Amino acid sequence: MRYNRDNASPGERNTGKRTLIRPSDWKIRLNPSRWVWFRMDDRLLLIAFGAVVGVCSGLAAVALSHGLVFLMENLSVFRDYWWAFVLPGIGMAASSLFLEKVVREGAGHGVPEVVYSVSRHGGLLRLRSAFSRLISNCLTIGAGGSAGPEAPVIISGASIGSNISRLFSLNERQRVTLVGCGSAGALSAIFNAPVAGMVFTIEIIMGEWSAANVVPIAVASVAGAQVTRLLQTHQISFTHLRFDVDVISTLAAVGLAVLTALISVLFARSLRYSHHISEKITLPVWVRALIGGCMVGAIGLLLPGVLGEGYHSIQQMVEGAFVPGLALMLLLVGAKIAATALTLGWGGSGGIFAPALVIGSFTGLMYHRFIDMLWPGLSWVNEGCYALLGMAGLISGTMHAPLTGIFLIVDITGRYETILPLILVSALSTTICHVFEPASFYLRDLVEKGQYLKPRTDAKVLADLSISELVEKDCKTVPRNMLLGDFIKVVQESHRNYFPVVDEQTGEFQGMIHLDDIRAYLFDSLMYETVFMEQIMQTDVETVDVHEELSEVLDRMDTNGLFSMPVVSRNWFVGMVSKATLLDKYRHELMVQTMH
Amino acid sequence: MELKIDEISSCLELPSTTVERWVRQGRIPVKMIGDTCLFSDTALRKWAEEHNLPYHPPGEQQKEKPEGTSESLADAVGRGGIYYHLPGQTVEAVIGEAVSAMKGIESESDRQALYESLVAREQMMSTGIGNGVAIPHPRTPLNQTGIPTQIAVFFLERPVDFKAVDKKPVYVLFVLVAASSQQHLHLLSRLSYCLRDATFLNLLSEIPAPEKLITKIVEFEARLSGGAV
Repeated sequence: MRYNRDNASPGERNTGKRTLIRPSDWKIRLNPSRWVWFRMDDRLLLIAFGAVVGVCSGLAAVALSHGLVFLMENLSVFRDYWWAFVLPGIGMAASSLFLEKVVREGAGHGVPEVVYSVSRHGGLLRLRSAFSRLISNCLTIGAGGSAGPEAPVIISGASIGSNISRLFSLNERQRVTLVGCGSAGALSAIFNAPVAGMVFTIEIIMGEWSAANVVPIAVASVAGAQVTRLLQTHQISFTHLRFDVDVISTLAAVGLAVLTALISVLFARSLRYSHHISEKITLPVWVRALIGGCMVGAIGLLLPGVLGEGYHSIQQMVEGAFVPGLALMLLLVGAKIAATALTLGWGGSGGIFAPALVIGSFTGLMYHRFIDMLWPGLSWVNEGCYALLGMAGLISGTMHAPLTGIFLIVDITGRYETILPLILVSALSTTICHVFEPASFYLRDLVEKGQYLKPRTDAKVLADLSISELVEKDCKTVPRNMLLGDFIKVVQESHRNYFPVVDEQTGEFQGMIHLDDIRAYLFDSLMYETVFMEQIMQTDVETVDVHEELSEVLDRMDTNGLFSMPVVSRNWFVGMVSKATLLDKYRHELMVQTMH
Repeated sequence: MELKIDEISSCLELPSTTVERWVRQGRIPVKMIGDTCLFSDTALRKWAEEHNLPYHPPGEQQKEKPEGTSESLADAVGRGGIYYHLPGQTVEAVIGEAVSAMKGIESESDRQALYESLVAREQMMSTGIGNGVAIPHPRTPLNQTGIPTQIAVFFLERPVDFKAVDKKPVYVLFVLVAASSQQHLHLLSRLSYCLRDATFLNLLSEIPAPEKLITKIVEFEARLSGGAV
């Protein structure tokens, strides 16, 4: 997986570059963020923009699903030929060529990119992300690759939100909210599941639950779902089904939770493993995608159910119209995992949402067949219910998002009958997965690189503060050939304990003198006229560069037992950083970040 | 209101890089167009208060910090006054006379408190610093009383044994009362600079007229702030 640093212009964070162009008067006046009733309190503004973003991302979702249907219908005539296995290969190769050469974006899954941009760049995303992954995903899935359309829709919705906020020059907090609105609108549109869209966004994308965010995101969810209901006629809908869940079935769900957790771990690991393998192959990306796609196609020749996003099989399973027995179910689970790992790991573009749902329903059905075989006499709830539970378990397990699992199922069934086992499976599955996988599939790579910064945490505060904001500049520098006697006069006038020594000709930093270093000679007037600064100064000082990350600087302070360090940039002394000032600034930052 | 970024950061007593970042991240109710910051004064004041940050808009007078170290010795002596022929045979009697002669003490209870703290200080350890000079002072500043910072100089009618370090009887008192410890130390260090000097001691032994003594003190202080410490 690759993260596009280019998504955010690199200068934006470090140098805080300002736009020097003064916008013309009409632009200022027309900018809604400057209208009087929006300026003092931006809640109304965000709600209004949230609705707009929700509608736009809903449209993106509808466009993608129409594109998918169109491609699948037109390609289905070729499905019966023996060479049909190359179709996914061609689709994936085209998709990766499009991403690499035409729009020049990494073939990420979408969601991690959005999380990364929210966590590190205040939600900055490129405009082309709004459509690039829609097209590549259409090519991948339309041709039969095993992937989901959700992640591409989420990144395009998020990018729409980000670019709308850039157009109206909103600030980072507002932009992050609109990015969330985009992703919520997109998800709620593609699943026709407004609550799931909202919960997923808050659980995965935003990482925090604050009133200022929730309201616009909810509005965007509603807008997205409404767009899809108006424009799309075919949806997954199980509203006509009835499930009578009794105590035994609820208890049996515990076993299912364990099973889904294990399969989630297997799924996440095989995705990463397959990606590592494909990275070791030194072939052009599109050739790799072609090979991977052909392998997927080969699996599809034997088991056609694993191809595509798989909503059709989900529908069958939930309605109880799926025939295969226990052994075949086990094979299907394995095959779907393999096909998804090959598709996503070898260059296809798409998300894991739909595959996780398919694997989950396979798992649920498999578990139902298994317990039915063990205790045939008991009256189990129908198998569709277990398919739903399996889906919730897999979503919760792979994404570490129990609430998303619960509400997605509630949303697409429109009923609360399954809620008890649903909560049980989701909660247990997440907990068990947490033991094996410390972070969710989406965040794993970000966490490993230290790039995932949850809002309102120590890491976020430290990452936001820069050395240049902390440096204390009231230090008096002394030249290297100053006499101790003269230095003592400097000490009397200063209120610091550290004195940097510089070369008087070049101005370069030479070393540091601490009051402790001269304490022994303070009252020795003979030394006053005989000792120079360069004889007393310490030269092996740990120094800090202005651009260093604060967390690293603190680590160095801790390992060396230091309370302050000189900041030296290109051999020039800039000032001091000390833990005392840091505490002060850290508190301010924490208060500003945590109180809205 | 409209201000430049460096002006607003000095209002908030923060580095301008921090303010700029906060504006960009939307953490502060300020809008930036180019390098001009737009904000509502009341909103920003409320925000600063909520976040425990200082806020001084340019028009507003900054609260002056209590300056403890700028007081000059000559002013303090001028405020305290110079007295001659102070009667008394013992330390307590002399101090009692001195306190009752001092100006600027509003109530009798303040006078009593000052007397008690001066005597207590003498009992702990004599303030006779040698060469016939004593500097009676309270140990802790008497903030709760309204006594202004001052040094009152008393030439005694006849020398009194103050149990000074050099056993010489004391003939002149510098009663030092300060409103804060900082002022106390500052005045004490200036006074001790004068009292270390032989010419100053000679002048004292002549029991000079008030103007002469003040002129000498001003001369010494000028030397002190001249840099050669």
